[in-house]
Amino acid sequence: MRGFNVLLQKEFREAWRSWKFLWIPLVFALLGMSDPLTNYYMMDILNAVGNVPEGFEMLMPELMPLDLIQASIGQFQTIGLLVMMASFVGAISKERANGMATLLYARPISFGAYFLSKFVVMSTICFVSILAGFGASVYYTTILYGTLDVGALLVSFSTYYIWLLFVIAVTLMMSASFKTVIATTCAFTVIFVGQIIDMIIGIFWTISPWKLASYGIAKFRGTIEMSDYWWSLVITLALTIICIGIGIVMMKRNASMTKI
Amino acid sequence: MTTLLQVIGLTKQFAEHKVVDAIHFNLEEKTSTALIGPNGAGKTTTLSMLTGLLRPTAGNVKMLGNDLRSNIGFLPQYPQFHPWLTALEFTEMAAKLNGVAAKKAKLEAQKTLEFVGLGDVQHKKIASFSGGMKQRLGISQAIVHKPKLLLLDEPVSALDPVGRREVLDLLKGLQQETTILYSTHILNDAEEMTDQLLFLQNGKLVEQGTLREVRQCFDEQNYVIEFGSEEEAKLFANSSNHVIGCNVYIEIVNEEPTMKMLFQRLSECPYTIRKVERQTASLEEIFMKVAKKA
Repeated sequence: MRGFNVLLQKEFREAWRSWKFLWIPLVFALLGMSDPLTNYYMMDILNAVGNVPEGFEMLMPELMPLDLIQASIGQFQTIGLLVMMASFVGAISKERANGMATLLYARPISFGAYFLSKFVVMSTICFVSILAGFGASVYYTTILYGTLDVGALLVSFSTYYIWLLFVIAVTLMMSASFKTVIATTCAFTVIFVGQIIDMIIGIFWTISPWKLASYGIAKFRGTIEMSDYWWSLVITLALTIICIGIGIVMMKRNASMTKI
Repeated sequence: MTTLLQVIGLTKQFAEHKVVDAIHFNLEEKTSTALIGPNGAGKTTTLSMLTGLLRPTAGNVKMLGNDLRSNIGFLPQYPQFHPWLTALEFTEMAAKLNGVAAKKAKLEAQKTLEFVGLGDVQHKKIASFSGGMKQRLGISQAIVHKPKLLLLDEPVSALDPVGRREVLDLLKGLQQETTILYSTHILNDAEEMTDQLLFLQNGKLVEQGTLREVRQCFDEQNYVIEFGSEEEAKLFANSSNHVIGCNVYIEIVNEEPTMKMLFQRLSECPYTIRKVERQTASLEEIFMKVAKKA
């Protein structure tokens, strides 16, 4: 792990100076606050927009605070993931393509250290982002719908964070393995097509990393088997470690692709 | 002199094409070696293999008594930096990654930046640097850890004449402290700063030796004597000499005529002699001959 601290410092500086620590959490905060606000003010919004026929009445479902958190997670799962993956997918492949990696790869660094330094910084950005997202969602939910159970919140936050670690590992692994365009396609396919498949035919299985995002809340509601939750968690962590391992190997193998 | 680096049968093959074909050479300590060749000769590929960026298809590289990667400094032809870092942060990072202790790294980085003339702008972000400044920063990151071997890929080819002169002067200053291997296709640079020449063509090392040795092999030396008139030149010349205008070209074959013989003949002739010159081929002319021979 030679050079890990130095590379970590470099990655943090990059993330900080390119405003990733600000704008990605901001996107998540906006996504987090959108569901409690839009749901609560839906009738007012419809009235304000106009074109509502006279006598029109809409029966709004009575939402519980946990439903709003679940809805926010749904937002993170689409736009949030899209933003996050798009900003991380070139982390290794772009550095190789533009030659920035050359001056690092020619030094006696450990590829494991370099890969992990990127992983740690991205995980930190993700942590701050979902903290902002959950924070915004919880704040408005509490104000508008009532208090949330802290335990449920912590479980859903942690579970969702583990899912995000898997997403980062997949994204970085693809970035280490392919050129940016192919890496983007592959990473998006694995994560989003995986989600779609899980949504369409996921009824046939109960253990899957792609289910983890919703399992945090579901666990608290008691709508899933505990063993399914734990197995999904273990498999996701195992796959994350495997992706990191493959990523490090591929980063080393593709070092010669760096532009000189 | 002690041999620092041994390159033994280094080969790189992409599909069916051998980009570098079994080259052998040694680098002596604190010498400067120019890797010369036209574009596509395999210079960058050779340097990439020496830095460890490319894995050779065959052959190996031995740095005597040392681990190669820890003891090299490398400057690519178009160095790309992380633009959000300052010159000091980048050089300090380079030092630390090469094993310089964290406490010492900042001081070494500052000293190196002063040496390359970037002391005043060390706290500026690299994004604002010009091409020449980036090249100097490239040298600074390559030498900050005091490597035993400095590998430079076309270090001045992308610079304007002023930048070129500055960087060449910097490199000359480094010659006393470290071994330098640099690739170039600008032969004037090689002529100015070289102990050993390696001629690469189509991936093969077609000629190597010191500048003097290569000159001895390929230089067709001539004396040129300028007379007062064309007629005098013709009268002086014998059948083996060439006459062009007022100049007589006397080719030296098997070290004859010697300087003494020539001056004796000149002193005896009654004509006006304006100039006597011993011509030496430029490295460019030698390179053309080497290329033809290969």
